[in-house]
Amino acid sequence: MPIFKTPFNGYSVKFSPFYESRLAVATAQNFGILGNGRVHVLALPPSPSLPLSELVAFDTADGVYDLAWSESHDSLLVAAVADGSVKLFDTALPPTQNPLRSLQEHTREVHSVDYNPTRRDSFITSSWDDTIKLWTLDRPASIRTFKEHAYCVYSAAWNPRHTDVFASASGDCTVRIWDVREPGSTMIIPGHDFEILSCDWNKYDDCLIATASVDKSIRVWDVRSYRAPIAVLNGHGYAVRKVKFSPHHRNLMVSCSYDMTVCMWDFMVEDALVGRYDHHTEFAVGLDMSVLVEGLLASTGWDELVYVWQHGTDPRAS
Amino acid sequence: MATPSSPPPSSPPDEKPQNLELAQPTNEIQQHAREEAPKQSSPSVFVNSEPMREEQVQNAVKFLSHPKVRGSPVMYRRSFLERKGLTKEEIDEAFRRVPDPPPSTQATGTNQEAQVISTSNVQPPAQTQALQPAAAAPTGAISSAGTLMRFRFHWYHIVFAVGLLAASGAGTTVLIKNAIIPRLKSWIRKVILEEEEEEKEDPVKKANAKPSLAEEAAAAAKAAAAAAADVAKASQEMLNSKSEERRHFKEFMNLLDVQVQEMKSMSTAIRKLEGQTNNLGRTSLVDQEDYTPSVANHPKQTYVNGKAESDSRSVRSLSAPASAEPSVAPHPKSYMEIMAMVQRGERPANIRDINDQPPNPNQQISNTRLAPKSKPWEASKSLNNSSQALQSQVNGEDLNSKVQDNGVTYQFDGESAIPWWQRKNARITEIENEDELKDGHYGARTNEQPIQRTWVPPQPPPVAMPEAVEAIRRPKSSVQKEQLAEDQSVSHSTDVTDELQRITKISESGGAVEVNGGGLEPNSIEIKEVQEHSSEEN
Repeated sequence: MPIFKTPFNGYSVKFSPFYESRLAVATAQNFGILGNGRVHVLALPPSPSLPLSELVAFDTADGVYDLAWSESHDSLLVAAVADGSVKLFDTALPPTQNPLRSLQEHTREVHSVDYNPTRRDSFITSSWDDTIKLWTLDRPASIRTFKEHAYCVYSAAWNPRHTDVFASASGDCTVRIWDVREPGSTMIIPGHDFEILSCDWNKYDDCLIATASVDKSIRVWDVRSYRAPIAVLNGHGYAVRKVKFSPHHRNLMVSCSYDMTVCMWDFMVEDALVGRYDHHTEFAVGLDMSVLVEGLLASTGWDELVYVWQHGTDPRAS
Repeated sequence: MATPSSPPPSSPPDEKPQNLELAQPTNEIQQHAREEAPKQSSPSVFVNSEPMREEQVQNAVKFLSHPKVRGSPVMYRRSFLERKGLTKEEIDEAFRRVPDPPPSTQATGTNQEAQVISTSNVQPPAQTQALQPAAAAPTGAISSAGTLMRFRFHWYHIVFAVGLLAASGAGTTVLIKNAIIPRLKSWIRKVILEEEEEEKEDPVKKANAKPSLAEEAAAAAKAAAAAAADVAKASQEMLNSKSEERRHFKEFMNLLDVQVQEMKSMSTAIRKLEGQTNNLGRTSLVDQEDYTPSVANHPKQTYVNGKAESDSRSVRSLSAPASAEPSVAPHPKSYMEIMAMVQRGERPANIRDINDQPPNPNQQISNTRLAPKSKPWEASKSLNNSSQALQSQVNGEDLNSKVQDNGVTYQFDGESAIPWWQRKNARITEIENEDELKDGHYGARTNEQPIQRTWVPPQPPPVAMPEAVEAIRRPKSSVQKEQLAEDQSVSHSTDVTDELQRITKISESGGAVEVNGGGLEPNSIEIKEVQEHSSEEN
């Protein structure tokens, strides 16, 4: 399976929604503590024994914690940078003409960015300054700021079916559901007793949310009855950094954790763990499932490696 | 909830709960939704429509009335209540109730809290009185100190006491000055007047003036002595009063210490009660300058943003968590080295100065070369069924046509024209078949070959909740009853498609699934009995 060695520590990987053989990786130097950052745009090789090839790379002054492909433009990327800026890159232009925009509004590190998959015109960024901001590509300033969390917001995700609804996961141990038309959050789910690092909506049941927390568990919630989770998935040895529902199957989801593994779960089944990949040798921090190719997974971690493999195969096989 | 105050125009009262506050926004949302495309389901599913729970509100009021909580920022009080599961409305109601002294709504322990509340109201006017410098100020301080001892100690008290002491000191010195200076002046005037009188008198009497001079000198000396004695007395008094004040101050300090001890014990007690929720690095129920170490499994807390201000920014240190449950993941050695370096203030050598500002901020965003594709979940709007299988096939066909778009020619097997990452091997389809069989969604495929897994066999997840495991195995009716009792008043309006989803899912799965986790649509009460999800219920 193809891999790629990044010079910096990997933080996030995302498949392009336009080109099934293209993906982007966000990296940060010195584990993201203090240093530069780089965004790589990679292409899958024609044969699995070859490595991934780099199409273009963009350097940033500070580490890049997350990125998102535009759903409306095939070559645009939005990057969440540790200096609080949100940068827009055009992968069709050379690095000297990039970035197209640098939006500096967050007062602390921007930890995640998510593009609206249904409306395709807006994206949200979440930051350690406890806020979430809503942006569109054509405006130089944010449209709205959502400030309610009491601590860093680690992740924000759009609902795949309701174009104005999104969820945010925060270090204040709550998940909030928001509607951009409403002034404040519409629902508060006290999901875990510890910081919640990631959340994602089920693509086929728009009322299900999965949350991943420092308490090593993943919980699946139904927003209609959010007092108790409908599933608690244990199995990771350390904090779960990212969780993602499959774009092709209602019950499947993948997660990556500080225990260096990537796990696949079927939350409808009692023995929920259906796959575990332990290819990383450091914290596994970034994870994505391809929307265009069923079963294609990508992961990256602090071991400076990016892996792309099909579910069921060994990521380290060549 | 900060919702607009205009009431919705003649919206029919549907089967919403009795909470009128919630009825307004949800009705508005529904109105809004109705105005939009009819197919779009109303987002009221994402809104809390539970009624306010009075018990929770009362608990919150008790919490908010606690003196230590009153010293903490509002944000942390809200966050604490949110983590305890209160809804926004309940929290707002609790905040509304707390500033007013609760006469009858509170159940237990009102006396102490009422005293505290009245003390805090007494403080500001008492402080304004301190500004009046008066000789009675020290005595006033002493008497108020006596009354203050009954109440809890606040920092206000210390400021008050210090202010009083300063004022009294200033007042006594001013008084003494006023006492001494007139005496001196009058004495000087006396002496001068006497001299003048002497000059005016018969110079013959000068001879007499000598002994009188001596007498006068003696008298002056006596007066000086008297004045000195007075001064000594006055200073003695001052010293006495100051020593008294110092004594009282020491008493204050002792009381302070006692109170601080009590506060510390209370904070530990609260911490224990809260258990492992002391995550907020900025929680300051106890006054602390540095960040309390939170459950620092997440290394983010050790990051320092790389600017010159890195010194002024406090670095949240990695430390042992409050509880044993989430253990800190072992960080790589180089990570710890870099952390140590940064905390010392050094800058790692490999950082370059990069100008990442846009070279042309007005650069036009070019048009997209490809049209956006529909998502796999959008195509099958009803539910995951065999159309998904079609979808994946369609994707494959799309790929074939798109292959040339990427500008790379691919190496194809003799078998098919699909690139290697698209083609699934037999194992995967088997696994997915098994998954699908378990779901009961794909009834068509029947594949009974054993699965050969090439990755590490998954370890069975530890049983976190043995009672949940039992619950799953026990007959469902008892669990169901519990759930019903909890969420009795929950009722939502749902869209037709969700209902259809449930009905068709149940029929497909053959009706042998477990009970849903609590929240149920009103229309599907009959379907409740049919169990749908397998879940570990908490």
